[in-house]
Amino acid sequence: MGGHLNINHLMFLGQGALWTIGLSVIALIGGGIVGFVIALARISPLKSVRIGSAVYVQLVQGTPLLVILFLGYFGLAAIGLKVSPLAAAGASLTLYVAAYLGEIWRGCIESVPKPQWEAADGLALSRTQRMMKVILPQAIRIATPPTVGFMVQIIKNTSLASVVGFVELMRSGQIVNNSLFEPFAIYAIIAVVYFAMCYPLSLFSQKLERRMGRGRSNLAPA
Amino acid sequence: MTNKTLLGTAAALCGLIMIAATPASADLLDDIMKAKKIRVSTDLAIPPDGMMDANMKPTGSDVEVAQLLAKDWGLELEFIQTTGATRIPNVMTGKADVIISTLSVTPDRAKVIDFSKRYATLESDVGCLKSMNVKDWPDLKGKTVGVTRGTTQDTTLTNMKDKEFNIARYEDDATDVTAAVSGQIDCIGTSLPIIAQIGKKNPERIFEAKIPITTFDLAIGVKKGEPKLLEKLNAWVDQNVKNGKLNAIYKKFHGVELPPDMRG
Repeated sequence: MGGHLNINHLMFLGQGALWTIGLSVIALIGGGIVGFVIALARISPLKSVRIGSAVYVQLVQGTPLLVILFLGYFGLAAIGLKVSPLAAAGASLTLYVAAYLGEIWRGCIESVPKPQWEAADGLALSRTQRMMKVILPQAIRIATPPTVGFMVQIIKNTSLASVVGFVELMRSGQIVNNSLFEPFAIYAIIAVVYFAMCYPLSLFSQKLERRMGRGRSNLAPA
Repeated sequence: MTNKTLLGTAAALCGLIMIAATPASADLLDDIMKAKKIRVSTDLAIPPDGMMDANMKPTGSDVEVAQLLAKDWGLELEFIQTTGATRIPNVMTGKADVIISTLSVTPDRAKVIDFSKRYATLESDVGCLKSMNVKDWPDLKGKTVGVTRGTTQDTTLTNMKDKEFNIARYEDDATDVTAAVSGQIDCIGTSLPIIAQIGKKNPERIFEAKIPITTFDLAIGVKKGEPKLLEKLNAWVDQNVKNGKLNAIYKKFHGVELPPDMRG
């Protein structure tokens, strides 16, 4: 017990940070794909699809991520399926992210002004053409800030994966702290690392908004 | 409900589902011997039982017990990372073969898993600043005692009747110690090595054990219905109590010896 922070501790924290990044990437790519499907399903002309996707969103949004992770890891094992911590955490986060992104994106798609939908119909575009050529390009711009905001939250939420034995950044900090008893130094390092992961994302979002907004500012409203 | 009780409930639920759903599998001891590997569920963030050394290699009394077990049985050792709350679910759902992780033997736990014979004991005390005049529970009136959330110390102090002290619950031992070092609390309910750790971090605030809380037996936890494995573990514990190896490991990390009947 005791001792001083050395290069091995930092390497261990670095390893934890890599797992945090890896888990975030899995969650965001998996959740993004499933979430996109959910968003489209939520505005589907078929009532059953709309209701089904709404139930999914409500179910997942009403359940703590901690419980989803726990069920994914121990619950599936209990009914005889072997899942690794990575698979359980990846799948749970994907389900969780999909429910939120799906709902965020549905809102963004629906907030594209009505005349745009009508204009697309008036040009005799098909449903797919209307979505791809008219609605989505505008929805993506609206969606950028809330999506990035949510991504930043997810990066931080991956710390919950430690309940299934996943040693990510937060848990690796806890382990190091429990052998060194230097909480201020260790948690300060962890805070800096999390910030270093999240801040570039926010910067990127600002840049993206500016780029996609260019040429729009001097358009008069229709 | 706190997170831990929530997790505990979920764990128990998962366990129930498992008991209901999985058919009796092959013998776990045979599986372990066939795989030539034993998977041990150990929390590596509860010093001095499970922790990391300066090279970030697992060390601690539970770690050495697990290493000794693997060596004696000629097996490869794999630590399954766990937190305090997920130790038991890990063996119940077959993620790990045994638990060696300061697991106190309690009646509630005995309902869901089987325990080997005790391989160590865990003595915990209320430790206070050396200068404080505390001899018995009434002396703690109006004071605040820090504990680690969800531990047996927490449960014991919380369930005490007519207590006149307050309890402050912290996330883990390191946070507990920090609270004592920084002056947030003057009393702490934990094990002896942790009490001693405070004075090392801040020589102006030396703590000493004042009132004993309880002594728990620590045992190896096994999934229910594995009599062969349990029998072999019991024989192993007996043998290593007798040859003094378990006592030596305990003394190395805890600074004190096991009770007289366990010194070999």
